[in-house]
Formats: sequence, structure tokens, C-alpha cells
Amino acid sequence: MFFLQELAEYENVAEHVKLTQKDLEQNGFTNNPFFHVIIAEVPEQHRTKEGQRKIGFALYFYSYSSFVGRAIYMEDLYVMPEFRGKGVGKALMSKVAQLGLAAGCHQLDFTVLNRNKPSMDFYFSQGCFDVTATIGYHCMRCKGEALKWGCAPNDM
Amino acid sequence: MEYKLRKAEPRDVPDILRLVKELAKYEEMEHQVTLTEKELLEDGFGDTPFYHCIITEIQGEKSSEDPKVVGFAMYYFTYDPWVGKQLYLEEFYVMDEYRGLGIGSGILRHLSNLAMKTRCTGMMFVVAENNEPSVQFYKRRGAEDLSQEEGWRLFRFDKDSLVKMAAPSEE
Repeated sequence: MFFLQELAEYENVAEHVKLTQKDLEQNGFTNNPFFHVIIAEVPEQHRTKEGQRKIGFALYFYSYSSFVGRAIYMEDLYVMPEFRGKGVGKALMSKVAQLGLAAGCHQLDFTVLNRNKPSMDFYFSQGCFDVTATIGYHCMRCKGEALKWGCAPNDM
Repeated sequence: MEYKLRKAEPRDVPDILRLVKELAKYEEMEHQVTLTEKELLEDGFGDTPFYHCIITEIQGEKSSEDPKVVGFAMYYFTYDPWVGKQLYLEEFYVMDEYRGLGIGSGILRHLSNLAMKTRCTGMMFVVAENNEPSVQFYKRRGAEDLSQEEGWRLFRFDKDSLVKMAAPSEE
């Protein structure tokens, strides 16, 4: 929960975080989890001033592509600022890639904010491509009223 | 026109793949479909399905004819750690000659109800920006374009890049 708030603040969207610790516990740690998390933890001697040893995480789930089949979606990747530039992000992504391949996945998707240049540079250096720029795919969402009224068109 | 919306069954797999390929052709990406009927069967109808599918079929003109599958939607559940469960609409297609009859709207309405029943806070999907008819169809129904409005870009590692990234580091 601490990580999600920090990541949201980094992306300047903190007011959008509505989940509670209880939601996360119910949705991620019961029999059929909706998501999985890998945590990066440092040894005792490298803990932060506040005593934190968990310094990064990746949250992912399995998805499906109608073109290639099984896929993996990385929803969040975050490393605390003082631990960046040390290969932690790379190691977290590598672990997600390994788990995905072991489960028979053919691609790993995720989204990045276009103003997050450091992250975009990092991802390009790891060999991915920008689907929005190359194929023109836009991420869309129906929520709230649009979802409630069964996505009824305005002109009906 | 009478049409029936129902959950896909294993016997529908050949029609599902047919419609996946038709949609890919419409998006000029048919050469990218490598999925097989065997994978669709294992992945959608095993113990832990990776996806769910609903299909629309219409009755043939003669009652002795088999119903014809003319539209489908493929979806699965995802997770947004800020607001919770989402329904992700992976594929949504109605055959050309059966458009404008309310079949697409019927499918979306069914999915919206399902999303609410399963306590999802939103339904997500991607659409190609040059697919004007689809973009308008969704915006008329209140969909937000997160790429345009908030700057989200979809990034992807394909299989080869995934293998390279999973390899242990040389250090």
C-alpha cells in the first residue's frame, strides 16, 4: 500500500488511489488471486533510514492476446528513489519475464506515462517497443456512469 | 433480426478463431495471428481459463440450418491497484454484413452488466486511433481515451525480447 501511494505521487495522480489494504489482501492473497506481486528486499545493512528493507515491487497478472495467446501484463513497477540505478528494476522485470515464459506467455505488456521519460528510456533500453506510437493503439476505459448504463449511446 | 447471445462452448473454438482472423484482417494485421484452435481450447476451457468468450449467433433462414456465429467478445479480468478489478475487453467483433442491427450494443450491454455484477469498477480495452468508426462507437458510449487524455502509452516486449530479458545477467 505504501508503494502504491509513492508510485502514485511520482506520477502526480495520488488522488486516484482508492483501494485500501483490506482490498489488496482480499484480491491478491486468496485462492484465485487477481494479481501477483514480486518484492525486492535488501539486506539489513542497506535498510532505509526509516527501517524499510522492501525497496521495490512489480505487480502483474496473466492476460490473453487474441493474436498470440497467453500473455503477461505488468501493472506496476516501482523502485524507491534511493535504490535506483542499481539494477533493481531490471531484476524485477527479468523475474516477471521468467515467470511469464514459464507459464507459456508470448508477450509482456504494460503502460507508461508519456511524460515519464526516465522510465520510457529504461524500457526502450531493455528491448520493448511503443505499441501506441507504432500501431496507434489507444488505451480506453468505460467507468462510472458509462459502465452503469450499459454503455448506452447518448443518441438513444 | 433474432439473435442469441450466449457463453462460448468448446465447440465454438473454430468460429472464435475464424472471427479473430477476420478482425485481424480488418485491422490489416492478419499475418500476426499465430494462435491455434488447440491453444484456444486449452486456454479458454480448462481448469483456470485465461480468457472468457461470449458469442452471438443467428438462426439460419431454414429451421434445419445450424445457427451461424456472427459476433463475439473475448474478455478477462485485470487489476488496477488504485481502484480494483477491471474487465478487460480483448476482442470485440461483429461480421460486416451483420452490423448496424444492435448486436454490438447488445454485447457491450451484457459485458457492462457482467462487470458490475463482478464488482469491476471499469471496463478497459484498446482501439486503433485510425479506426474512426470504432473510436466514435466507444466515445458515444462514454469511453475515455486514456492515451489522449492522460498520456498513457502501451508498451510491449515480444517473445524474443522477453527471452533476452529473462536470461540471467552476465555479471
